Amino acid sequence: MATIRDKGYSHWDGTLRDRRFPWWPITRTGILLTFRKKQLKFFFAFAFVPAVAFLAGIYISERLEDFKFMFKGSEKFITINPAYFKTYFTSDFLLFMMVMILVFAGAGLVADDLKHNALQLYFSRPIGKKDYLLGKAAVIFFFILVLTLVPGLLFVIFKLIFAGSFRFLAEYPWLLLSIVGYSALLTLFFASYTLLLSALSKNRRYVTILIFGVYLFSDIIYGILFGIFRSPYVALFSIKGNLQQAGAMMFGRKLPFAYPGYLSFLVLAGIFVVSAVVLWRRLRSVEEVR
Amino acid sequence: MLRTVREVAAFFFFLGRRARKVRAFLLLGLLPVALAVLVRIVFAGRSGDVMSVFQDILMIYDLQFLAVILTLFYGTSVCSEEIEGKTLPYLTTRPLSKSGIVIGKYLAYTALAGLIVGLSLAASYLVMNGRRLGELSAWTALLRYAGVLLLGLMAYMALFTFLGVLLKKSILIGLAFGFGWETVIQYFPGSTQRFSIVHYLKSLLPYYSPGKYSILMFRLEPTGPVAAVLTLVLITAVFLGLACLVFSLKEYMFED
Amino acid sequence: MNPTIETRSLSKWYGNVLGLSDVTLTIEPGITGLLGPNGAGKSTFMKLLTGQLKPNIGQVAVLGRPVWNAYPLFAKIGFCPEADAFYEEITGWEFLTGLLSFYGYSRNEVGDRAAKALDIVELTADKDRRIRGYSRGMRQRIRFAQAIAHDPEIIILDEPLSGLDPLGKRKLIHLVKGYRDQGRTILVSSHVLPEIEAMTSRIILIHQGKILAQGDIHYIRDLIETHPHIISLKCDDPRALAASFVKEPYVHNLRFEADAGSLVVETHNRDAFFGRLNAVILEGGVRVDEITSPDDNLQAVFDYLVGK
Repeated sequence: MATIRDKGYSHWDGTLRDRRFPWWPITRTGILLTFRKKQLKFFFAFAFVPAVAFLAGIYISERLEDFKFMFKGSEKFITINPAYFKTYFTSDFLLFMMVMILVFAGAGLVADDLKHNALQLYFSRPIGKKDYLLGKAAVIFFFILVLTLVPGLLFVIFKLIFAGSFRFLAEYPWLLLSIVGYSALLTLFFASYTLLLSALSKNRRYVTILIFGVYLFSDIIYGILFGIFRSPYVALFSIKGNLQQAGAMMFGRKLPFAYPGYLSFLVLAGIFVVSAVVLWRRLRSVEEVR
Repeated sequence: MLRTVREVAAFFFFLGRRARKVRAFLLLGLLPVALAVLVRIVFAGRSGDVMSVFQDILMIYDLQFLAVILTLFYGTSVCSEEIEGKTLPYLTTRPLSKSGIVIGKYLAYTALAGLIVGLSLAASYLVMNGRRLGELSAWTALLRYAGVLLLGLMAYMALFTFLGVLLKKSILIGLAFGFGWETVIQYFPGSTQRFSIVHYLKSLLPYYSPGKYSILMFRLEPTGPVAAVLTLVLITAVFLGLACLVFSLKEYMFED
Repeated sequence: MNPTIETRSLSKWYGNVLGLSDVTLTIEPGITGLLGPNGAGKSTFMKLLTGQLKPNIGQVAVLGRPVWNAYPLFAKIGFCPEADAFYEEITGWEFLTGLLSFYGYSRNEVGDRAAKALDIVELTADKDRRIRGYSRGMRQRIRFAQAIAHDPEIIILDEPLSGLDPLGKRKLIHLVKGYRDQGRTILVSSHVLPEIEAMTSRIILIHQGKILAQGDIHYIRDLIETHPHIISLKCDDPRALAASFVKEPYVHNLRFEADAGSLVVETHNRDAFFGRLNAVILEGGVRVDEITSPDDNLQAVFDYLVGK
């Protein structure tokens, strides 16, 4: 006769499996929420204007005969070489648009979680600080890479298509590495910059001002110090200046400022380290109230 | 109404002083002092250059960055912080006229911003002009700079208060105006530059010969001082009035 | 008695979403419970009463005056909002005195009133702690304190018991009843019906923006003819008792409970039923230990009206 067993508490005999990409739901949600903002769509579309212009330039460069009437004596401007790529990647407009997009995509990334005490919800699930930070950073990665790596690679691909040969790549074999490397630098920098500022306050409005203001402030300080000291080294105070210096170095072009390019890398790395330290300390599931 | 304004201003000035952000803003305000020390060291013995450096360099910072950042944050906060923080019912369910609430908060935050900018201005000016403190002209110049900054704070604060009361995403419009429009339009030739607040503020500054530094006064076609003051006062009154009107008529719903 | 609060055809939309529809009612001195599930329109109604929202259609008057932009009225109204929101960086004392200063009291009076309010809600010991360090119950109590500190004639409380422990709830209910005894008008909203039942029998039932019923809970119950009353009788011989009623025309249904110790009767005529019950008990043979009416309560009334 079969017995009816009273099961009570029993151990589960299976094995726990970690989710392969625990940060992915955070990233996916962050990107979706950002795209819900109507104003972002306008700025995001507008940010592609330089990419379209530069792509058109690549096309024209291969069809110079057809467009010669427009460019009498100006063929220099549409010579497609690493300088052309560097001009795109380090243009004031593109950097400014990236900052504007960071305002939409990044201001509330950590600030909103701090405001609504959501960190407890995150860390009571099987994700750690690293996954949380990676998930949030990946939202920024997406937007920056779409504006840097994707157009950069498309420029190369279309150049090859329009030219009908691989001569361009043979001439500049390291160009792809420069594109990937500088895109990665911009991505990492802006992600750490944005997350650092977002973690400093629970007030999204304040963070918006910080993201924009710190970027602008660094430039103003550079201008003021240059007015006083007339030294190129003061450009180390400018975020834009450091990014442009690093970009010129990575594309093998003449440096815009007369100081060693590695100093800019050090400044950017320093900001990354500060960001990592602050984020690691600030992100706690329990807030200590004193 | 006066009582409302007084009590609201006192409460929010007290609240504003308590906020942690004030420390960050004060640090921002101390930067010109550090720069002033640097300038004194670099330009030791050259008083003429010192004054033009003060105006063209440090005043750029105070006028076109610090004042704008402070008024943008505090001005939009007049309404936005109550809605974001869901504390608006604590004000609107009290015997306070809505206009009084707006004006009271406006005055509180203008005073707070004025304190920060004033400290920054006074300290940096005194560092730069330490040797001239016995001259009356040094003090009148300081008062003039303080007056310009105060008018600037009032005008910008009124404008951003109006934006904050009217729009949900006032910060972005404010940033676009404060650091986009104002930065660009002031350098347009002719009457176009009169469509910026900073034009009238620069028109009130004492003029020093450009020398090597002329960024602030570059392409300025100044408006007369009386007209400039009246325009700034008018801008303040109009935007503050509009802010009161909109706040009185509009309903504010919290995002759940 | 003149109604303290009066609404006429009051309606409010949020875009295409109906918040409140055609609400016409009066609220008089005493405690009135505003009941409904989440999203029923309680907070919308309270926001209209306190001038935070403007009606799309209709009017709302407090003490005979329209509320919208009538700020002098608020000297007589105390409102405790539902949202857990504060100026976090200040202490409880600073919060109360700051808000009291808006009434034009002298400094001494502000201090006295704040001390009294803190004493009422038992937060005197924590008055100098920053609000961001308060527990949930303390935050609810300070929120209540700011609503009563200026001794208002009308007190509007939006979910005042949420976040309080059972003892705290009991104290607040006792407090509210004290205000009722002083002749004030109190409107309390909740979605937890037993909490309101503990305070008052005068209720307004709201659902999907519409008023389902208003008045005394028992009176409303009696009006619901479509649902027979349910009476549970615990007795020694339920079947014998059932036999006494099975032929009565006013008894619709008889049911034996699982424990076999009680009989559940459904009847449209309670008076006739209880009259007969008395006779049955007096005739002898059946001992009745307990009589209860499981559906003579707010939840049952609400369920009936909502159509569950």
